[in-house]
Amino acid sequence: MMMLALGLSFSAFTALSFAMEKHQLELHGRQAASVTRRRLWQLAGWALLTVAFALSVVDHGWAQGPVLWLGAMTVSGMLLTFGLYPYRPRWIVPVAWALPIIGLLAALV
Amino acid sequence: MKNGFRQSMAWLHTWTGLLVGWLLLLIFMAGTASYYREEISRWMRPELPRSTVSTDAAAGRAVQFLQASAGQADTWFVTLPQPRNPAMTAFWRNPEALADPSKGRRGRFGNATLDPASGEPLQSRETRGGDFFYRLHFDLHYIPVMWARYLVGFCAMFMLVAIITGVITHKKIFKDFFTFRKDKGLRSWLDFHNVSAVMGLPYHAMITYTGIVTLMIMYLPWGVKVAYPQDEAAFYAEAFGGMSEVTTVAEGRATPMPIAQLLDNARAHWKGQDVAGFSVTHPGAANAVIDIQQRDGRRLSIDTPALRYDMVSGRLLEQTPASGAATATRGVLYGLHLARFADWGLRALFFLSGLAGCLMVASGVVLWAVKERPKHAKRGRIGFGLRLVDALNIGAVAGLPIAFAAYFWGNRLLPLGMAERASAEADVFFYAWGAALFAAFLWPRRLMWAWQLYIGAAAFALVPVVNALTTEAHLGVTLRNGDWALAGVDLSMLAFGAMLALCGRRMQAWQPALSAAEKKKRAAAAAASASGARA
Repeated sequence: MMMLALGLSFSAFTALSFAMEKHQLELHGRQAASVTRRRLWQLAGWALLTVAFALSVVDHGWAQGPVLWLGAMTVSGMLLTFGLYPYRPRWIVPVAWALPIIGLLAALV
Repeated sequence: MKNGFRQSMAWLHTWTGLLVGWLLLLIFMAGTASYYREEISRWMRPELPRSTVSTDAAAGRAVQFLQASAGQADTWFVTLPQPRNPAMTAFWRNPEALADPSKGRRGRFGNATLDPASGEPLQSRETRGGDFFYRLHFDLHYIPVMWARYLVGFCAMFMLVAIITGVITHKKIFKDFFTFRKDKGLRSWLDFHNVSAVMGLPYHAMITYTGIVTLMIMYLPWGVKVAYPQDEAAFYAEAFGGMSEVTTVAEGRATPMPIAQLLDNARAHWKGQDVAGFSVTHPGAANAVIDIQQRDGRRLSIDTPALRYDMVSGRLLEQTPASGAATATRGVLYGLHLARFADWGLRALFFLSGLAGCLMVASGVVLWAVKERPKHAKRGRIGFGLRLVDALNIGAVAGLPIAFAAYFWGNRLLPLGMAERASAEADVFFYAWGAALFAAFLWPRRLMWAWQLYIGAAAFALVPVVNALTTEAHLGVTLRNGDWALAGVDLSMLAFGAMLALCGRRMQAWQPALSAAEKKKRAAAAAASASGARA
């Protein structure tokens, strides 16, 4: 379940960055998402972060769960900001789908 | 404060950060490596077998060995095999009469590393393994431990100031949360520094603060001195008091209860939590007692509970008292710093966050030089201050990785029978670092950056090769056996090599950005030649 929490925090950060005008312009130029759309991205981002927190606590308990959650956010934020946005922007959406799915499979197996 | 609050905070951030930056980088790098202290120690003792036996069987072997080789001892201490460290260590203290006077103060003590399957003592090369990095990150090396700890505490305090002032100075924490603008010179360095700091902020603040807490009584001794003017030991007993000291003398002989049964009692008492190790006082005597230590479980605290049993009757005598709020808080903060509780996944996250800390410190000191350079360029010559910072930057940021890799080379290449081998390994680290610093001071230029990064890349990438040439515990074997702890060390070396090579490549290929005037001139020249061609 740890992999799932990690994957979800990556998707959550992706959604939160899609909610920001500057990243919309960077990715889609003039076809940037509308204000309402971005508002939805923001809600989705926070919802995913909440789910990731819940999973971390279920998996590692109340003492270590929050530590896991913070660590997962640090690592996925670094991957998104240093890796994908500047060098492979087209991969962002596929990776944001793939990581939670891999995490889910790892949790089920 | 003539420039307003934010400017003065920026000033404080710049200078606190720069002053301690290079030593801080050493501390951060060694501390980050210490998350894999056990794995590195195992890698550095390739002779040790990897046997998997139950805790009970291993404990039985340890007791057999100690009865045969240290039957007269006052006390035995046994650390049982753990998933991260399959060897078992035994340590004992002899009575005064049996002391070996030639060894001085250490004459009463004996120790052995045991094979948990056979109980036979194991011979391995003399090395400090991962403990070297662990000690290095707060005791440094070659200087008295007390000075080192004050120096490290000073750096940590400055780091804490730099973190707080950094947050105040950073104008757009949320707006620039995901922003890294590449290939833009100073802008990119600033973005990189900001993002590596902000993404890891909970970790950076935690590790710096808890680092100071681990040595708080040394840094701030006055409270204890005032409250316990006569007897500091009383303070320690009251604050961190474990179980009472066993003061009885050994009397009569009796057969102890089988160790497996005693360990089972402890596990039942803890509702299934496993045992990390045990110590026995007056082994073999009728009044022998055994203290059983719990393994780190789901808690964060460093203070693990223990139980004391009568070793002959198996009766529970005592258990560690519940600690007060202050002691419990310290236990959690201390525990967070060491992260001994972390399983493999959480440990990897701690390690990666530690690397983010290294990147933050490294980009911080580089940023200073990048910002300063245009002023010197305008004046036409590189001033002393910038030259000094450049040299230290190259020697620390590019030179330290060389030193870390060299330590692994030393472990494999120094002759096995050499005297003082463990400290020679540490010397290899410092010779390599010294050489890198010396070269950086001689010629602190861009090419020196590239060369040192390439040397570091090659040194790391070749560690698995040297390992394969000198031992039987190389990737070909460890990957096939699924021994991920050992394979992980080799694979991380390859990854570090690749990352450093990439950095070196970028450093070598870098071209200075054109000034606005230069761009205009070139555009005009291009336009002129284009119109010339048309005409």
